[in-house]
Amino acid sequence: MSARAKPLPRVTPDTQPFWDALRARKLLLPFCDECGRAHLPPGPVCPFCFADRLAWHAALGTGRISSWTVVHKAWFPAFAGDVPYNVVQVELDEGPRLTASVVGLPNDRLAVGLRVVVDFHDVSPDFTLPRFRPAEPA
Amino acid sequence: MTALAVRDRTAIAGIGQSDYGRFLPDSQLKLGAKALKAALADAGLTRSDVDGLAIHLGWPLGVDYDRVAEAYGLDVRWVSQTWLHGRFVTSAIQHAAMAVACGLANVVACVTAISFTRERQILGGPGDAEGTREDGGTHGESPPYGLTAPAGGAALGMQRYMALYGATSEELAAVPIAFRKHALKNPHAVMKEPLTLAAHQSARMVVDPLRLYDCCLITDGAAVALVTSAERARDLKQPPVYISGMQGLRSGRDEFIFAPRGLGINQQETARWRPEERDLLAYRMAGIDRNDIAGLYTYDAFSPLVLFVLERFGFCGPGEAAKWVQGGRIELGGELPMNTSGGLLSEAHVGGWNSILEIVRQLRGAAGERQIANARHLQWGTAWGDSVIFRS
Repeated sequence: MSARAKPLPRVTPDTQPFWDALRARKLLLPFCDECGRAHLPPGPVCPFCFADRLAWHAALGTGRISSWTVVHKAWFPAFAGDVPYNVVQVELDEGPRLTASVVGLPNDRLAVGLRVVVDFHDVSPDFTLPRFRPAEPA
Repeated sequence: MTALAVRDRTAIAGIGQSDYGRFLPDSQLKLGAKALKAALADAGLTRSDVDGLAIHLGWPLGVDYDRVAEAYGLDVRWVSQTWLHGRFVTSAIQHAAMAVACGLANVVACVTAISFTRERQILGGPGDAEGTREDGGTHGESPPYGLTAPAGGAALGMQRYMALYGATSEELAAVPIAFRKHALKNPHAVMKEPLTLAAHQSARMVVDPLRLYDCCLITDGAAVALVTSAERARDLKQPPVYISGMQGLRSGRDEFIFAPRGLGINQQETARWRPEERDLLAYRMAGIDRNDIAGLYTYDAFSPLVLFVLERFGFCGPGEAAKWVQGGRIELGGELPMNTSGGLLSEAHVGGWNSILEIVRQLRGAAGERQIANARHLQWGTAWGDSVIFRS
């Protein structure tokens, strides 16, 4: 990774389907074939019932901001021009939480509980990041 | 063997430290050597008495146990290696105490040494190998979104805590202000100026809601504690500081390193969690009640962690800590003095071991101006649930 480029996701065999689907502008979650629950981050087995059989299904793409922060320090040179920028955790309506960022909302309007919907942002030829935007126009 | 069998079987018999400061010229190993020599002199032991090594300085920061033993000319028969992380302070002490109690070693040197100012690139950004590794870092790092460094995770925890419970940055300021007062009574402390609420509030925002003084110091230094059997310790130079009770690190989907259980960060369930009997083994092992604790010491890398540890061990209820710490309650002279040497926020970041050394000084009655009157039991405990209880 070049120090000048924004970091890209580290992909493992467990997370490959998640990132592949995002390139096709789909948010998928791993669901357990046994207990039916979805989990994040994508793991090797169902963390709830320890079953091996997982199946990837489309998420609704909706949820609420469960926490947020605004980064004021330019730790990454590649993000220096973006400071101050937000990072959020979104509690998806299926239950698991996803770390992402919010677009289309001033940082001073970020709030725990705000309804959001997923958006897709190509950041390289190989990667599309999920971000979120307010469910109601800001 | 029941857990209670470990009570008071082992003790800290010697402590030593290097200078604490920024951009110290010494190597990490040299700082550690200074601290080890000081600890041996303190205990009245020699290097050849050390037959166990519990180090708290390995990857991603420093050298491994074998280089430490080689550099200091040790010949040990038992080793425990953890990383330089606050969550492993308890592990290192526990492993040392268990090794001694089980007869695997007679004298274990717990060694930590840090050269953060020379290696600060590891603490966030492109050089943060820990936060960018496969399957991610431990503090909620998400480099593709620019979330890096442990501070990011602490910010996510505090932001949600504020939203759920109405806590404020002004309330949070009571933590760094208290520890700065303690540091001003400590000649080893790096910070020498008082901290006011106005200064806290006007300091730059680092990662919202954490302002500059909510984030710990980035310093260099080393600290060593020598753990041996209670019997042996009683024959040595210093009054023994007994390891009376302990409990381990909690982990699982309901845990996030920088949030109390139940807060709802990462995959934690949201619930108003209160500790139950099984969450408080350390007190039972020590044969005491929480109310017997004369002072609490914690890993204060970020000021919210001080709130969270109070709730973790039930000193107050969920969501109550920000109010609870007001009015000097955690200051010397208050109901529950915390981090009386200034902690990571104002003394130095020696991985939390600066507070372990302070506990020992306090229980020897050697803390001078900072002495907690009649301190018999002091607790090391962290926001993520592990603990060691010491007694004089």
